[in-house]
Amino acid sequence: MDHAAIGHYRAYRPRPFTRSERDTVTVLFGGLHWRAERLIQGALENLGYRTRILPGATKEDLLTGRELADIGQCCPTSFTAGNLANFLRSEAVRTSAADVAQKYVYVTAGACGACRFGQYHQSYELTLRNLGMESFRIFLLAQNGLDQGAADGSGLELNLPFTMGAIWAVLVADLLQDMEYQVRPYEVNPGETERVMRDAVQYFYEVFRTSPLRGGKAGVVLWYLGTDRFLKALGEVRRSFERIEVDRLRVKPVVKITGEFYLQTVEGEANYNIHRWLEAEGAEVYPAAIAIWLDYLMRYAARDYADHLGIDRLARLKLGAVKTAQALLRFTYNRMRGALGNVPHELPDQRELYELAAPHYHGRLSGGEGDMLIGKALWAYRHKKAHMTCELSPYACMPNTMSVGAMAAVLGKHPDLLYAPLEIKGDAEVHALSRCQMILAEAKRQAQREYEEALERSGLTPEKARALYDAAPGMKRATYRVPHCGAAGAAANLVLHLAGCARR
Amino acid sequence: MQRWFARTPSADSKARAELRIGIPKALGLWSTHQFWVGFFTALGIEPRRIVFSSDTSEEQARQYGKGRVTVDCCYPVKCISGHYGELLVREKHRKIDVLFSPMIYSLPSFLKGHALDTLACPRVMAAPENIKAGFLREKDAFAEHGVRYAAPFVSLGDPKLVPKQLHEGLQGVIPALTLAETRNAAREGYAALEAFNARAARRSREVLARCAREDRPCLMVLARPYHMDPGIGHEIEMDLQAHGYPVLWAQHFPTDPDLLEWMFGDDIRRGFIRSPHDISDVWPSSYSANTNEILWGAKAAARMPWIACVIRLASYECGMDQPSYTPVQQIVERSGTLFFSFQDLDSTKPAASMKIRVETIAYYLQKHWRDIIERKKAASAPGCPLRKIAPPAGPAGGPGFRA
Repeated sequence: MDHAAIGHYRAYRPRPFTRSERDTVTVLFGGLHWRAERLIQGALENLGYRTRILPGATKEDLLTGRELADIGQCCPTSFTAGNLANFLRSEAVRTSAADVAQKYVYVTAGACGACRFGQYHQSYELTLRNLGMESFRIFLLAQNGLDQGAADGSGLELNLPFTMGAIWAVLVADLLQDMEYQVRPYEVNPGETERVMRDAVQYFYEVFRTSPLRGGKAGVVLWYLGTDRFLKALGEVRRSFERIEVDRLRVKPVVKITGEFYLQTVEGEANYNIHRWLEAEGAEVYPAAIAIWLDYLMRYAARDYADHLGIDRLARLKLGAVKTAQALLRFTYNRMRGALGNVPHELPDQRELYELAAPHYHGRLSGGEGDMLIGKALWAYRHKKAHMTCELSPYACMPNTMSVGAMAAVLGKHPDLLYAPLEIKGDAEVHALSRCQMILAEAKRQAQREYEEALERSGLTPEKARALYDAAPGMKRATYRVPHCGAAGAAANLVLHLAGCARR
Repeated sequence: MQRWFARTPSADSKARAELRIGIPKALGLWSTHQFWVGFFTALGIEPRRIVFSSDTSEEQARQYGKGRVTVDCCYPVKCISGHYGELLVREKHRKIDVLFSPMIYSLPSFLKGHALDTLACPRVMAAPENIKAGFLREKDAFAEHGVRYAAPFVSLGDPKLVPKQLHEGLQGVIPALTLAETRNAAREGYAALEAFNARAARRSREVLARCAREDRPCLMVLARPYHMDPGIGHEIEMDLQAHGYPVLWAQHFPTDPDLLEWMFGDDIRRGFIRSPHDISDVWPSSYSANTNEILWGAKAAARMPWIACVIRLASYECGMDQPSYTPVQQIVERSGTLFFSFQDLDSTKPAASMKIRVETIAYYLQKHWRDIIERKKAASAPGCPLRKIAPPAGPAGGPGFRA
């Protein structure tokens, strides 16, 4: 027997996606909320890619994912792998598997480290094998690289124009989402916010799609940092929001969403539509901005470089570079936030998150959200940014389970911190929502107490507060920024603000 | 001179000599314990005062860990509450002063430099923070027992960084600790670990050489190092060993150049891999040290004719092992090697079903090992170095030896 006769196992390797295929091959992507996906689509189309957003993941996708990949995977893997599989299957029915493999490629984030997320490729690979579509091409882009070069074949260039476009799209989407969630619970005419938001996202899709293309790497960076194109567009959106009338005297608990990246970001069946459910239950949702995650990644990298000072001779240079990038990210976010009248929430200071979490969870522990789950919960509690934190993690999420466990000591110290860690399996909705509802009930009581205390402190009655509010129509605009007066809820802050204005 | 001073015990050497350090024998400690013994000994701690908790058991969890678990997760992490509790309540004359539970971020690995990284599992590295919370949430159980809790964050896979991290992490724990002596102690720790691993690999080679000489089968265990804990791995490999088959662990597989060239030379020449330690042909995202070693072990088992059977052990809810189930099985089975997997291991040992499975494995092995060895030998490159070299002097480890 020939000594090479055993056909050893080899991992999946996508065949190249060539530059010449770019005009005929469609890049599939998904896994974020619809606003971010649509704006990224605009940014990618601006670079000459044909793109298509995968439909939102459903329970059917979850079951397909479980069926086609290894048992025991976390639900984001099942949702995303099943989502892709069902899409490919439905397309193959219309044409053929070979045609689908030729017409589409899939791009997703991955390759970050040692939790399941860093090993998603294996689930996708197995899914494709079990689907009989091994020739389909999947490309992973590392979440921590700005300029990763070209994927095999140069059809997909993960370069600075690609990354900068995607980051700017994410920042705008974050701000729009935040605005939406701060306005909708208080809108006087139901459906108005929804309509304005749809128009705003479509408008921004065009803004990104038609951005003037820039030359080299430095040119792209400078253009994005210097242009007022997006600020002007945000100004337009602000004017649209201005027409929405709100009633911020409605007492509502603020629920901050944290958790595993996928589950805290998507809005749909993958997280039991928790954003909409919370709103329907009478809460104001404080959504999880993707920008915080980007900020955290840079903080984490900076800490690593700082640890290597005196060991790696380039560490100081790298530290300086990553700190500059972090400052530029925050600068850009704040500029954009300013264009929306500073109504969207600010980015929490990463240093503060680190310091708050440090006694309970080491800042260098990696995987998932690291120390941020604890840091963010304590930050929201200390600064009265929310009445309650709802933490969404997949069942058996490796890193997040650890920080949820470490939260036991935090809760021992701060028993009034309302914290709802929900383990999301994808098919245990009633269990998760009823658990959330128990803590939400306490958050509602807290919001009501806070409102009553605000009235007492300000010497107002509800009727008097209403009269003052009615007398200041400018405050009823969705774009009016009620200052944070030490309360978590909008109504309590408004009462204190009205009293302050009346005194002046 | 600097080295000499670094080696000189500080003025607080007496205080150090009286310290008793308790270390939970769990998770990353199963592959790094020799480092810690070497490290603390070099710092002037008496070896007999470096104490490990006992093997994991349900009894331990019931007696010492009850009410301390803060979250439901995999048993190898969850059981550490029992280890902490056991160390805290030692009798007065054996009482520990320091409970030392390092947060090991990355691990030393023979695949270092060939894989993308050598990280520990996210749960493994963060476990001390999680377990600690259970001992703090009502009151400070460490303070109550007069024990200092020390959980330094340490990147053992990055030796240059280790002295700095341990020096910072052990301030106030080891009296008058200096960076220079920490540096020296870390060096001693690595030397102790390397010597131990080299010894284990040498014994593994001896077992393989004897199997090759006698054309007899042996087994390989693919698991995480903590599955060597009888309370985690449930001694499945010991039961198989009782049937007369020598057992090797992938972590201690010999990595001598002659052997690796014979096993992987063909793959290198055909461009599948760049070096014998390269696993990118089967596992592109090679971040996890233990996962990488399991994948590499599967490749080694597939190419070693006398490994007739592979036993895979994995704990319930292990997110690190889950994505690797299929590739590991594929790598092993495509080579014609028998593959048996014990997944979802938990706290309780299902003794009866394990006995049946072990007997089934023994039956298949008995029936097929000759054919397997012959087939794999035929598919191997000529000139196996295991058959060329005369058996080394000294005990080679007979049946019942665990490398």
